[in-house]
Amino acid sequence: MISILIACSIGLPWVGALLVWLIGDKHEKVQHWTSILFSLAAGAAAVLMLWNTTGDAGLTIKMGGIFGDFTFIPDGLGVFLAVIATVIGSLAVIFSTSYMKGETQIGRYYAFVLFFIGAMVGLVLTSNIMLMFLFWEITALCSYALIAFHNDDPKAVRGGIKALIITSIGGVGLLLGALILFVYTGSFDIRLFIADHSAVPAGMMAVLAFGFLIAAAAKSAQFPFQTWLPDAMEAPSPISALIHAATMVNAGVYLLARFFPAFKDVLYWREAVMIVGMLSALLAAIMALTSTDLKRVLAYSTVSQLGYMVYAVGAGSVFASQFHLFSHSIFKALLFLGAGAVIHSVGTRDMTKMGGVGKHMPFVKWVFIIGALALSGIPILNGFWSKELVLEAGLAGGPSWIYAVMVLVAGLTALYTIRCVWMVFFGEARSDYHAHKVELAMKVALAPLALAALVSWLAVGPFSQLLGEATLPQHNIETLSLASMFHEVLSIPTLIALIGIAIGIALWLLRSKLAGFIEGLKSLQWAAEHSFGFEAVNSAVVRVTNGLAETLRNTQTGLLNWNVLGILAALIILLAAIILGA
Amino acid sequence: MNLPIPFIVLLAVISLAGTGFYCLLFTRNLIKVVVALQLIVKGVVLAFVLAGHLQQNESLAQTMAITVIVADTIVAVIGLSLAVQIRQHTGSLDLKALSKLKR
Repeated sequence: MISILIACSIGLPWVGALLVWLIGDKHEKVQHWTSILFSLAAGAAAVLMLWNTTGDAGLTIKMGGIFGDFTFIPDGLGVFLAVIATVIGSLAVIFSTSYMKGETQIGRYYAFVLFFIGAMVGLVLTSNIMLMFLFWEITALCSYALIAFHNDDPKAVRGGIKALIITSIGGVGLLLGALILFVYTGSFDIRLFIADHSAVPAGMMAVLAFGFLIAAAAKSAQFPFQTWLPDAMEAPSPISALIHAATMVNAGVYLLARFFPAFKDVLYWREAVMIVGMLSALLAAIMALTSTDLKRVLAYSTVSQLGYMVYAVGAGSVFASQFHLFSHSIFKALLFLGAGAVIHSVGTRDMTKMGGVGKHMPFVKWVFIIGALALSGIPILNGFWSKELVLEAGLAGGPSWIYAVMVLVAGLTALYTIRCVWMVFFGEARSDYHAHKVELAMKVALAPLALAALVSWLAVGPFSQLLGEATLPQHNIETLSLASMFHEVLSIPTLIALIGIAIGIALWLLRSKLAGFIEGLKSLQWAAEHSFGFEAVNSAVVRVTNGLAETLRNTQTGLLNWNVLGILAALIILLAAIILGA
Repeated sequence: MNLPIPFIVLLAVISLAGTGFYCLLFTRNLIKVVVALQLIVKGVVLAFVLAGHLQQNESLAQTMAITVIVADTIVAVIGLSLAVQIRQHTGSLDLKALSKLKR
């Protein structure tokens, strides 16, 4: 039973991808319906897995040789993320039928979306780290192909290549870890490694732990790799909602959470994780405050919220990080799809040209506000509970100065969110735009997400059970009932965080009186608009690489004789080394 | 003058492969490159047979040798047919003239 469900949730989207591609772009309607059908079927299979979680291998494919077995383990953590990937994937596909209507080459679009959904499910369910690496790179490839979907737009192509290069750097960290794992344990099995990691010596364990931290930071757009995510916003909005908010960027957090029991004793690892999370959260929040591009604001806020999750893992609470991931996937997908509806209708991403959109699109306005309130951490939406749990965990498991910064970021989050909502939906129209009606498919995708943003926190009990000892014996996650969550959250630290959020909102309401104060922060704004110098570092790396390549070009004569000489010389050196060594 | 047979075979391997490499290093003619490759591979096949004899594992060596001969024939056929096409399209077989990488 469970093996069929696993095979369906990975395989069905892939079969769908192939079909959509084969159907051809002449039959656009058939393509829309095929993708909806296959993504919904995969979603149903993933949801059914919720009742069939197990800590043992659910599906094993014997590969032989050094590959070992390709095992898939549907434990709580994996199934939870598989459900997120397929359900939000289905909603994004439904949204796309309206958003992408009339685009050319729609087959390429859906094929990559479905290919991505299947790969994401495989990534979180597999217990073979080599296979995980494969899925990891497939998601990066799909992300690249979809960011650059409008491949006649140089900005989109640049953004796609940037994302591909930076996430591939992270992939090297994962590959290195996989090889180290194989050298010391003789297998690629993640579960065995987490259960007993005594085979790996402490020094190598540190290399492994920090290699995975680099991999996670690159994938989840964390400091110092955060620059690719804002540029990935050239992708169509449903892609931003699915890949760059709800699923792929969570893969990094997932990696840290999955390996936390093995790495938690590595010297300074937890501190490093917390600091990476804090810096990402802080820098991205400041950049979100200065950006005027609606989707870039949301991208920065994704980096910032992912920072919270990474911070929670570092502080030792995998549960808080995953609970925030759960809430974030819902409200951020909602915000991105809402933003997509606005952009689709108004025809620009520039918030300075919007204003008063709420009058034309009341439905989108209200669901967007629900998402925005959840993002700011206003009671009683899902973002409030999960963010408070993250902060509580941080106070308990980490230094208080990092906690103080995270409370500050919570205030900044409220400030940039209310600024964004205000600039888009309220006030007077600042340009001559024509808002179109919101289509049914968009509403069908937005409504369940808005509802979930309101009530998903009620599921904390079953959710903590899902991640509990039954299937994840090494993670030590205790069941947290609704009542005990109330008890934990209703405390002094929550009050402090709420005061921070209230100050953030007050700053926006009093912005005209604070003009002098804001003037004083001009230099900070300048730094934020230049992404704190990280773009300069990126372009310097590109320049040096290009220069080096241009110089090394001289060694490539393209003449056979010289190449053979090189081969012979290497052969002679090798032979000499063997003879002298022996 | 009474050399052991393996030694004579080894000399043959070295002279065949050596001639092939010498040609690869100094020829600029595409046809001659294919001929040089053939020479090297023949030396390698001989080396396989010799190694099999020395290791008392002749059957494995023969298998390897036959496999190499098959693959090598295909390389020769494709290489020569490419050379014909190149000669027809560009009118030249000179490697230096064909190279597109040079500045």
